[in-house]
Amino acid sequence: MCWVMECILRLQGYEVVAVPSGGEACEQLAERDFFFVFMDAKLPDMDGLDVIRHAQKMRPGKVRAALVSGYHYHDDPIIRQAIDDGVICGFLAKPFTHGDLLKALPSA
Amino acid sequence: MSDNDLPPNRFELLYGMLLDAIPSSVLLVDEKLHIVSVNRNFLLKSQRGEGKTVGRPLSEVFPTIILENTDIERRIREVFRTGASVKGQRMTYRAPGIPIRIYYYSILPIPTRQVMLLMEDVTEQVRLSEEVRRVERHLASVVESASDIVLSTDTEGRILTWNSAAEKLSGLSAHEVRDHYFFQFCNPGQQAAVNTLFTLMKSGNESHTTEFPLVTRNGDSILVSWVFSPMKDDYGQTVGAVVVGRDLAERRKLENQLRQSQKLAALGVMAGGIAHEIRNPLAVCYSAAEFLLMDNIPPEFRKECSRKIQVGIQKASAIIENLLRFARPSPDTEMAPVDLHAVIADTLELISNQAKVQQIRIQLDLENRPVLVLGVSGLLQQVFMNIFLNAINAMPEGGVLSIGEEIFEAEVAVHIADTGVGIAESDLDKVFDPFHTSSPVGKGTGLGLSICYSIVQQHLGSIQVQSSPGKGATMTVRLPLL
Repeated sequence: MCWVMECILRLQGYEVVAVPSGGEACEQLAERDFFFVFMDAKLPDMDGLDVIRHAQKMRPGKVRAALVSGYHYHDDPIIRQAIDDGVICGFLAKPFTHGDLLKALPSA
Repeated sequence: MSDNDLPPNRFELLYGMLLDAIPSSVLLVDEKLHIVSVNRNFLLKSQRGEGKTVGRPLSEVFPTIILENTDIERRIREVFRTGASVKGQRMTYRAPGIPIRIYYYSILPIPTRQVMLLMEDVTEQVRLSEEVRRVERHLASVVESASDIVLSTDTEGRILTWNSAAEKLSGLSAHEVRDHYFFQFCNPGQQAAVNTLFTLMKSGNESHTTEFPLVTRNGDSILVSWVFSPMKDDYGQTVGAVVVGRDLAERRKLENQLRQSQKLAALGVMAGGIAHEIRNPLAVCYSAAEFLLMDNIPPEFRKECSRKIQVGIQKASAIIENLLRFARPSPDTEMAPVDLHAVIADTLELISNQAKVQQIRIQLDLENRPVLVLGVSGLLQQVFMNIFLNAINAMPEGGVLSIGEEIFEAEVAVHIADTGVGIAESDLDKVFDPFHTSSPVGKGTGLGLSICYSIVQQHLGSIQVQSSPGKGATMTVRLPLL
């Protein structure tokens, strides 16, 4: 799955860091600021939303993220709640078009 | 006094004594309906003195209400007129100050132009028979009110009683089935077995429990659970049978509903796992296809996209196959002698890489000779594969996976133990349920151990789990030896 995102974003000229687990994501997010985070909802070791919450606590106001998931759907109450709470600013349901992915990125 | 005078006096005395000794009331009445004589029992029961009774008219001695109700004066006149006796009439008599008494009376003509009124006190007998009737009515209403079929038969199985529940369920009235053999209301295939039951009950004391359908008036079969019990008399002889039956249709319906709701709940659990498992490779395929649609992509990247599509489709297909396998456990595979040790060795080879990555040591403790069972090696491999993978998943921080065995006369028990997180006691009886999973969504569908269970059952074996949280789990697979 990471392969897909890396390919799409690199083609647009973004620098991409991909990690395979929630633990490693937490380490990366603690070390540096990212322009944007695409987070899978179900990671092998953690829940994706928890990773984002954790990162936002460590770097308040600096973590902007979208959740990518094959498990949730667009009007899933959990997703709506996460958007309302400001945990995520977008949601991508798998499978998605490359256009969908790029639209999720902030225009800035 | 002459010798001739004495005997009549003596007899008179003797008869007087005899009459007084009789526990019934005896009155002699003349044609004018006056009382000529009475015995002691009458005076006692009516609380009267002899002086106020003998020589008095009947209408003075008996209360008006009795005379009216029994019409006794007319009956006595009738006896005088016809010379025929009146027997076994009933009279209720209440003397002042004593409880009500019930009498049977007879009016008997005697040659001295008198009639004898014989009154027998049957109060106690009437009370007893009424008590018996009351108990009978109570028992009958117990049987009638039961929602189960209750019927009784003679020793040959001919129906004697048939309660309302039986009438309602069968559509046949008690009148219609009476004296018919019970087996006539069973399916033809069942009749011999039913007759055997009646034969068994003739000599035995035990009840027999069984299930077979009852055939109703319109030919339908209703599945009923039956209990046949012999009915014994005071001497322990079988005098018949009591058959109680409960309609199982209602229970089966509830069981089906339960299974259906369990299935729906399982589908709910499965939907999440399957969605995640399948949408991941689908998403990769979709993106790869979208890349392929772009112009001027390097040939190497084009190849990579195609490979990703192939791998993604295979992954999704494997998930579906796993589900299908759960639904249909290899129906067309034939059982053959299989060396269980070889199966275990082959399976360990497949998982050894995964074990190494997770720093899990494998400890194999099997006898150095083949152990033959009758089975399908592919299916048995699936059993061990599932158990090994579960064990590995339970040890994310590393540990020991040990495989040992016990060989008994007729079976082999393979123990697979891990040093992982263990299973909560509340989950122990659920681990073999389909779709039960402790893994996060996407990691397990909860089908693995239920597949193991059905495969092992197919091999006439058994599978058990022991665990305490934090101390690992041990799965034991038992299979019959060839």
